[in-house]
Amino acid sequence: MDPGPATVGELLGGLGLHPQEVIVARNGTLVPEQAAIGGDDEIRIIRIAHGG
Amino acid sequence: MESPVGEKGVPACGICGEPAVIFQPADRRYLCGTHLVREVEDLVRATVQENALIRPGDRIAVGLSGGKDSTALLVILSRILPAWPGANLVAITVDEGIAGYRADTIRAAQSLTGRLGVEHRMVSFADIIGQDLDHLLIGREKEACTVCGILRKKALADAARTAGATVVATGHNLDDEAQSVLMNAFRGDLPRLLRTTDARTAADFLPRIKPLAAVPEKEIAAYLFVQGFFTELPECPYTKYALRAEVRTFLSDYESAHPGTMQNLVASKKTIERCCAGAPVMEPLRRCRECGDPCSGDLCQVCRLRHSL
Ligand SMILES: [Zn+2]
Ligand SMILES: [Zn+2]
Repeated sequence: MDPGPATVGELLGGLGLHPQEVIVARNGTLVPEQAAIGGDDEIRIIRIAHGG
Repeated sequence: MESPVGEKGVPACGICGEPAVIFQPADRRYLCGTHLVREVEDLVRATVQENALIRPGDRIAVGLSGGKDSTALLVILSRILPAWPGANLVAITVDEGIAGYRADTIRAAQSLTGRLGVEHRMVSFADIIGQDLDHLLIGREKEACTVCGILRKKALADAARTAGATVVATGHNLDDEAQSVLMNAFRGDLPRLLRTTDARTAADFLPRIKPLAAVPEKEIAAYLFVQGFFTELPECPYTKYALRAEVRTFLSDYESAHPGTMQNLVASKKTIERCCAGAPVMEPLRRCRECGDPCSGDLCQVCRLRHSL
């Protein structure tokens, strides 16, 4: 079975997203793209909309 | 990355060791929420002080769209302003009249100014040119960002003058500034590059300042998120027509591969400015023959737009 992405950065890469264009919360807390993720973690990816 | 992975698989803040919320690729550094907030506010304070963007007694009109940049700008200015005795803020929201987009951001702007206790004023495109943006753009959607930019600048300047402001502040960030340098270079438009400077020079019209010009866009979003100020809002429906979107993607790719690129672009602009100081690059300011606003040609952009309708 595919172990899935080990870090936020790997997850973003798999989705074709730039670390610079999103911020990511792991279980409600903001984390850098180097943070580890596991199967139970709730990940929220927020696109940084341009402008404003 | 070289940083030790700390508690719960999150790298530690390079200053205090608490779990980091952001990685700064240009400095190869991790920061926790507390230190990110402190660094962003220190950077803005330093930008304002080094360039003398604010003077004691200034009445600063902050263009508040309700989006992330202007929200961060208002929050930060409201915190650092006590360093300038007598300086005060008035937030101005321009309602372009974009269906399905503006209502949410206006609500966000109202709730923020209420929370910060800052005076808030509204001005609409209908006030300036008699129509909202959606109607102005029928059949010319591709010009959206140009038309909107011209009118937004005019609306903000007029409302700021009416409010008795001495300076207009906008939320342009490092990414915006780097994109502008690149776009102007691509167009071969050096004069425009120098006109976008945030120096307080021309006595004729309200100076425009960009206190967030050194702060990366991602840090602004993170700054708001860690303090509970971040609201997810719809993106402007006209964004897809923007040339800037193309440059933004290109620059993001390049910045990822070569951290520091955006800072270098802005530094290049400053070098050019220094080299051109006193040189006749700026076109002489004239007055629009129809409305009298300062402009570079015979007719200002707003009057030209009015004629094209
Ligand atoms: Zn810290
Ligand atoms: Zn005019």
